[in-house]
Amino acid sequence: MTKWEYHPAPDLDETLADHLRNFPRQPFMLLYAIRSMAALLLRAWMRVYHRLSIDGREHLPTDGSFILVCNHTSHLDTLCMLCSVPLKQIHRVFPAAAADYFFSSLPRSAVSAILINALPFDRKVKGAESLSACAELLSNDGNVLIIFPEGTRTTTGEMGRFRSGIGRLVVGTDLPVIPCHLEGGLRAWPKGKLLPRPFRLHLRVGETRRYGDLEKNSESVRKICEDLHEAVAELGGPTK
Amino acid sequence: MTLDAALQNDIVLRYLLIAAAALGVAGLVLAVLTALGKNVGPVWRTYRGWLVMVPIVLAAVLLGRTAFIAGVALLAIFGFKEYARATGLYEDWWMTGLVYLGIVLLAVASHVQDPRLGHDGWYGLFMALPAYVIGAILLVPIFRNQSQGQLQRIALAIVGFMYFGWMFSHLGFLANAHYAYGYILYLLFAVEINDVAAFMCGKIFGKHKLRENISPKKTLEGAIGALVISVGLAWALSFSFPHFAPWEILLAGFIVGVGGQLGDLVISYIKRDIGIKDMGAVIKGHGGILDRVDSMIFVAPIFFHVVRWLHGLREVPVS
Repeated sequence: MTKWEYHPAPDLDETLADHLRNFPRQPFMLLYAIRSMAALLLRAWMRVYHRLSIDGREHLPTDGSFILVCNHTSHLDTLCMLCSVPLKQIHRVFPAAAADYFFSSLPRSAVSAILINALPFDRKVKGAESLSACAELLSNDGNVLIIFPEGTRTTTGEMGRFRSGIGRLVVGTDLPVIPCHLEGGLRAWPKGKLLPRPFRLHLRVGETRRYGDLEKNSESVRKICEDLHEAVAELGGPTK
Repeated sequence: MTLDAALQNDIVLRYLLIAAAALGVAGLVLAVLTALGKNVGPVWRTYRGWLVMVPIVLAAVLLGRTAFIAGVALLAIFGFKEYARATGLYEDWWMTGLVYLGIVLLAVASHVQDPRLGHDGWYGLFMALPAYVIGAILLVPIFRNQSQGQLQRIALAIVGFMYFGWMFSHLGFLANAHYAYGYILYLLFAVEINDVAAFMCGKIFGKHKLRENISPKKTLEGAIGALVISVGLAWALSFSFPHFAPWEILLAGFIVGVGGQLGDLVISYIKRDIGIKDMGAVIKGHGGILDRVDSMIFVAPIFFHVVRWLHGLREVPVS
């Protein structure tokens, strides 16, 4: 008789904590089921509790991989962005999340990996490594990466400078980048508050931008960051 | 099985004391060995694993029938998950999905009332479910219109369901027995002691290999020692089944002593055939869930059916 060939999962020897922290993760049916349920509940919560409205959904590409960039005012930003993509795509959407915060303990890692499907982004030591993980992810068709180029949540409401990572990721590539702006996040769940408050949220999705014609140099990276910053700010309307 | 009933049950209270004493003594021995400068680091890790697992298992028993059946179903689901990931079956979502569904249905059958007899636990459905689940698994290649590699997939799925799902779920069905606390707590305690006894006896007396191509570290002396200790333990824990005749108590010990080691060997040859050391790494110092419950998978159905044949699950003794 021919010997059967087995194909054990490559992460079989990982502990639960490593399994949650490491990326990419192996697809797993139970995890997908839990995440789908969580996504449904999240959408209901956002609609009822925060009366979330989303404009410009038609700008989201229907095929290929793309990047969503957004201003960062609270943890609600990620959740709103997750609500903006179709439910069937939910397992292919990866919010880049600060590894030092969202993967610092087992419970946080569990929420980040299982419910949010976050990509651990090392913003302190291994930034370049994390960027290559993002590039690898986007090289596969049908993945969506959510990035907050400010790197941290604002405490004043002023949008901070966009860090160079997003520029370095897309410069000279034809990857679609979609700017988004969330309004109401700071009021609903400011940094330091334990729980969100029931304020209205409004997400605007902008038109696709591509930077394939730019040369790969620091000047282009700076231009991309400025362009995206401007695009996100424009979506937010004039400063009040 | 309810929380109130558990707290008033003499058998439960005795086992709580035994568990606390066993953990306390083991911790003390390890502390002394550490103070004496012995290298017991890995054993501490295993011990810490016990410190987490024992309260969780006892809580599931104390919380009642529903919690216990749900706990067994969760263990079966995550145990099967480990097996599916080890064999590569996890890539086939239809097969794994049907097995997960089958395990959930086993838990439902263990929990609901028998519609004809009116008591908790639908034994007829529990016993008939394998036919339906296996039938459904066999239909998948037909729906897919595929034949290549399908025999391996259905074989892996059927073994996964029958062994890690159906056989293990007998433990959950025991929650419907009149002597549920005695049966369940005896099995949980005796099976683990049997594992430890086989290891210790093998370390101390081990000379002859038991099955060298399956598990090179297991010895005949370890197996015999564990069997003797398990039979003795059944006698010592005979308060768990006050309605048993003396030979039935010895039989209970024999089932644990032999079945526990067979369950261990089954997982060993599955792992060896696949070419892995542990089924997972979810419990630090213990490996995967299956590495921990392997003995119980074999013991639970044998004990269940022997007890059912001898006394019936719900038989109340006449005093």
